[in-house]
Amino acid sequence: MKPVLPLRIAWRFLKSSPGQSALIIAGIGVGIATQIFVGSLIVSLQDNLLNTTIGSAAHVTIKALKESDPVRYSPEMQKLFASDPRVKPDTVAPVRSVSALFSNGTDSSSLGVLGGKLDELNGIYKLDSRMISGKASIGPGEIILGKEFAEKFGIATGDTISMKFANNQTGSFKVAGIFDLGSAQFNLRNAFVDGAVPQNVLGWGNDQYSSIQMQLVQPYDSAKVAQQWSQQLPGVSVLDWQGQNADLLAGLTAQSVSSYMIQGFVLVAIALGIASTLAIAAVQKTRQIGILKAMGLGDQPAGQVFLFQAAILGVAGSVTGVLSSIALLALFRLSPAPFEITMDPKFVAFSALVGITVALLSSIIPIRQTSRLDPIEVIQNG
Amino acid sequence: MADSWSEGTLLVADDLGKVYGEGDAATHALRGISLTMCEGEFAAIVGQSGSGKSTLLNMLGLLDTPTTGTVHYQGRDVAELDKTGRAKLRNGLIGFVFQFHYLLPEFSVLENVSMPALIDGTVPATELKARANETLALLGLDGMGAKNANQLSGGQKQRVAIARALVNRPALLLADEPTGNLDTVNTNAVYDLFRQINKELGTSFLIVTHDRSIAERTDRILEITDGLLVQDIRTSDVVAD
Repeated sequence: MKPVLPLRIAWRFLKSSPGQSALIIAGIGVGIATQIFVGSLIVSLQDNLLNTTIGSAAHVTIKALKESDPVRYSPEMQKLFASDPRVKPDTVAPVRSVSALFSNGTDSSSLGVLGGKLDELNGIYKLDSRMISGKASIGPGEIILGKEFAEKFGIATGDTISMKFANNQTGSFKVAGIFDLGSAQFNLRNAFVDGAVPQNVLGWGNDQYSSIQMQLVQPYDSAKVAQQWSQQLPGVSVLDWQGQNADLLAGLTAQSVSSYMIQGFVLVAIALGIASTLAIAAVQKTRQIGILKAMGLGDQPAGQVFLFQAAILGVAGSVTGVLSSIALLALFRLSPAPFEITMDPKFVAFSALVGITVALLSSIIPIRQTSRLDPIEVIQNG
Repeated sequence: MADSWSEGTLLVADDLGKVYGEGDAATHALRGISLTMCEGEFAAIVGQSGSGKSTLLNMLGLLDTPTTGTVHYQGRDVAELDKTGRAKLRNGLIGFVFQFHYLLPEFSVLENVSMPALIDGTVPATELKARANETLALLGLDGMGAKNANQLSGGQKQRVAIARALVNRPALLLADEPTGNLDTVNTNAVYDLFRQINKELGTSFLIVTHDRSIAERTDRILEITDGLLVQDIRTSDVVAD
């Protein structure tokens, strides 16, 4: 027999109890919407946190084994980074850094002065888009300062400042702009200048740098990449952000686990809801199934009736859930949240698919009940 | 049994027995019943309530399985069939009418009537619709097809149930107290219909009833008492006597 009849019967059974059908569709819908919303919220929250933490920082840093020594940015090294697809294009920045002391007469502060080429530094620090005043320019004699540093010392764009370097050299710079990289600590402790400035202070050659910094396409690859490069690049130290931010990673992992647990419990609740409703529906329709079996309906098509019911409820519930999650998201956008939730279409499709699968699995009990039903029980009991 | 099969024989039941429970608690619902039915026969099973007549009907209708004995349909031992095979045989060869109509309230009258053919799945949709309408007309239910079963009177519902039992043009129609819930007028109408269908379509009928006067309107009466077939007579013989 074609599956058309079980589908037709399933549809009629659902239509005959519209309230019950609507309730279970709503139940699945709420569950799927919760799953999509919570999943998207956690992922967006983590993306936001990750972006704040490492969006404008190096994911992998190559340094000399001894902190004060330079690392040689060899052609082999350049070739290795250029050919590795895990390295995010245009984010490799050789950087020279030197300590300096700034004093305005009454107060003083040490400052890490980072030197490099602007386009290369932009690859990591996105200075062009992080300026709150002036412009990202580090031509000869120019410096860009962090927001907190500028505020602390009352410095504005266009001012000229001077500072003393470790070797007692003194430098005078015009403030081209003020940046905010999202980290008050970084803004307070660092400034950017042309690469030649620290090179002169340190007296290093053209291929000698304090560090080679870069970002990866997948930030979570950093530990693996660092481990691999450590073996390929002898004589240097390869650092990864994951190794340096263990606490943050533990927090993110705990957040992910709790998110998965919530989603798991939601799915179990959906499954129990559908299974119990379908089991009740199977009992309610015992007489009809019994008489259909007496007329010659086989065990398999009789079971298919509840499989199709589950499929219809699963599809309708999942669609309701997806639409509800879009509405929830629109509501969330109206609230003054510090970040935006984005829905990954793949995750939405996955959630809908999970909803349908859970619904189908929930039909196992009523299918077994129906398959076991002997028409004589119905006929004898009236 | 197959050896004794002859042309025109529809079913042969041999030494049918049904026991419920075990040991001292065992109840013998049927005790060694043997009978043969031919194509086109119009017969009744009579007996007191609890005598085993419905049990016999359910066994002949392949709804129940005997503890002992065999049932052969058109020369084939149904014990050799699995559940699906028995369901197919029920669907194609046998029609059922019960005391309660058992119509499906989720479907229209036409759909209810078409259901056995839909289960069979081999009749083209247009032919099925025509056949269902024709069967409804045969039972005096013209124009009722689009109605819901709940909108009909008791007598009409039972006629729809009869139409449903006939739509696959079964060789045998088994009816268990089919007029038990109907008044005299409707009861007479149903038996007139059975007789008409028997003549027009050649369908065999085996009707369970506790009403002797109804049974006497059939061609053959099988009387069951305490699970035993105590009488198997032709009504024409009774009249002749």
